[in-house]
Amino acid sequence: MPPGFQVVVSDLEGPVFATAAGKTLYKWPLQILRNGYSGETPGIPACYEDVLTETAGLMSPYPAGIKLPELDKRQSCADLWPPVVADEDAETIGKWTTIERRDGILQWAFDEQPLYTSVRDMQPGDVLGGTTRNSRGDSPAYRVPLTPPPMLPPGFAIKPTSIGRMLTTDTNQAVYSYAADTESDSACNESCPSRWEPVLAPGLARDQGEWTLLERSPGERQWVFRGKPLYTHVLDTGSWSQEGSDVPGWDNVFTQRAPELPESFKVQLTIAGNVLADANGRTIYRYFCGEDSQDQLNCDHPAETQVYRLAMCGAGSQEKCLEYWPYVVAGADESSPNRTWQIKTIDPMTGRYVAAGEETALRVWTYRDRPVYLFGRDKAPGDVNGGGTGEWRGKRNGLRAFWLRDDFMSGIL
Amino acid sequence: MGRVSIFIANLLVVLLCISSASAQNSRLKDGAIGFVMTDLFWSVYQTPAAEECPRGFNDGPREQFEKLFPAHEFLSVEETQLKQEIETWHPNTEPDGFEFLQVEGDLSWGLNLDGEVGPNDFTHPEGGEGIDNEVYRAVGCIIGFRGPDGVEYIFQNKAILDRRYNRMMIEITEVDDLTNDDSVKVTWYRGMDRLLTDATGQKVMPGGTQRVDYRWGRSLIRETTGKIVDSVLTTEPIGDLVVPWMNLSVPSTHIFRDARLQLNLSEENATGLLAGYADVDTFYYQLIRNDSTHHLSNGQISGISLYKALRRLADAHPDSETGENMAISTALDIKMTQVFVRQ
Repeated sequence: MPPGFQVVVSDLEGPVFATAAGKTLYKWPLQILRNGYSGETPGIPACYEDVLTETAGLMSPYPAGIKLPELDKRQSCADLWPPVVADEDAETIGKWTTIERRDGILQWAFDEQPLYTSVRDMQPGDVLGGTTRNSRGDSPAYRVPLTPPPMLPPGFAIKPTSIGRMLTTDTNQAVYSYAADTESDSACNESCPSRWEPVLAPGLARDQGEWTLLERSPGERQWVFRGKPLYTHVLDTGSWSQEGSDVPGWDNVFTQRAPELPESFKVQLTIAGNVLADANGRTIYRYFCGEDSQDQLNCDHPAETQVYRLAMCGAGSQEKCLEYWPYVVAGADESSPNRTWQIKTIDPMTGRYVAAGEETALRVWTYRDRPVYLFGRDKAPGDVNGGGTGEWRGKRNGLRAFWLRDDFMSGIL
Repeated sequence: MGRVSIFIANLLVVLLCISSASAQNSRLKDGAIGFVMTDLFWSVYQTPAAEECPRGFNDGPREQFEKLFPAHEFLSVEETQLKQEIETWHPNTEPDGFEFLQVEGDLSWGLNLDGEVGPNDFTHPEGGEGIDNEVYRAVGCIIGFRGPDGVEYIFQNKAILDRRYNRMMIEITEVDDLTNDDSVKVTWYRGMDRLLTDATGQKVMPGGTQRVDYRWGRSLIRETTGKIVDSVLTTEPIGDLVVPWMNLSVPSTHIFRDARLQLNLSEENATGLLAGYADVDTFYYQLIRNDSTHHLSNGQISGISLYKALRRLADAHPDSETGENMAISTALDIKMTQVFVRQ
């Protein structure tokens, strides 16, 4: 790693590369969209100071060439994603190289992907500009935080989810631990391994850091992580499953748990799995928004244009929005438990954050610095009628439920 | 004992063994048999020349957009794209300026739900008056709802097979005879397991097992009674039948009021109709939440126009305040394969 960079541990994303000032580094990989590509081809920056004025028509059925909203206030890609500038004499190291931008300025790159910071990140450990969580098809071409490779033995992987960074095999099988086990002894014997298969280590494997080995029988060594032998569950029906954790004593393994939820929130059973809910059991939703512009700017934050959100939640009316997509209002005695879940003050008539104490302001719960919502057509605990509301099944200008268990939709957490 | 008697005795033993083996191999166990759903789609009566749609098929979002905004490059996102999305997500019954082409034929699959023969009813293609199927009248001239290649026809149906969320099944109990029985009990559950298929992975085979989903699916369980006449099961109406129907990873449902099943039964399959009154708003939001405007465009389905048609053609369950009907008669083609239901 060149001088001037560091690794910072974040609440949700685990270790991320950051500038000396602690600003998380992001890349913008090329992504295929419905009618073309957005993002950056390796080695070629595409995020500049130009203020784009027209849609790109990357997502059908709407054509290219329509005027983007609020042009008088619109910012450029580089305004929101400042390039990480390199000194002229910067020395490249390994995958850390420099790329010349069109104005001659050198920009840091990693594996040929130009690097940026986000104006949304305010302090070290903030990763508010993007996520490594899989957004799947039809989402905007998101920016992705740059992360160091995880310290895992071959054969393992990490799946970032809403409940934490889940340890899996490299074939996406969930990995479990057993409460009765110790670092040096497995209580899973006799018929148990036919249901819970020990994750075996190759002959050349050695202890390293949090990873050790348990010799189950001569020549048969099982991986142990943080003092717990690891297993897969043969009855799991899909990737990244939590089904095994329904068996008493058995738990999914995480390298890092998601930050603690607000105390008033609860886990609510629905017909599609478990969802995060408010104290009354009403499903909590996140709002997602990305513009159909070539620079794929976000529109899901209170500092960004509210035109898209207002259209979807209230047909252009803020009053209707408050009825259809009410904010999750924080109790007077509630406080923010961490950087991920915070209480912020919002002007409900503009959708913008305001200073605390303003007369009309509401104290609302936010996740990753964006308000979370309820849905007006949810009438009873367990209703999830708002999920997929909006453009592109809620992925580009709409709501998606905050799932905590996804047995029916493997991999969406 | 004479040779004839010995022969008859042996024959009886053989017949008894065959009968016993047959009983042991019967999929009807202890008066119960289960079937899991493998196909479900809105029943659309189609003639080869589309005579039921003499004026052609409806425009979809792309065609409507071009007509509404021929000079879109001079307009803003708010004046075009978001205007259409607002109409889609905040639907109303006001005219949208497009003529809606509905089915004009007299024939339709379906059931006589209200027991009456009225001026708006269809005639069954195989005979029978009073068929109530206004969903067909609304969607029958929309390409996406027509087989064999309409986008909804393909993908909504495929989702029934592929998605465990949609794994609905029935268990018929208190069955004395699968051909004729004047009183059976029918329970509607969700299963939890993958389907048993042949080696191609495409054809669902009888004889699989499904565990009942009592955890997330408990609220879906319904019970009714029915009778079997000449191998056709007809159930009594169920007040509100909830059918989970996820297509593109958006868990959603349909709600059918006064729902009933009419199924041709064998020990391996049950095929026929699920009919009732679909809750209009639930129908509409299931469609547009699972399928974005893009997907609807591929089937020339204008959500905006369809909602107005559904509300205009709705024929049951009036709203207590406005008096407007909020449910619409329908029939769906349903195919089920025998499974053993594990409680």
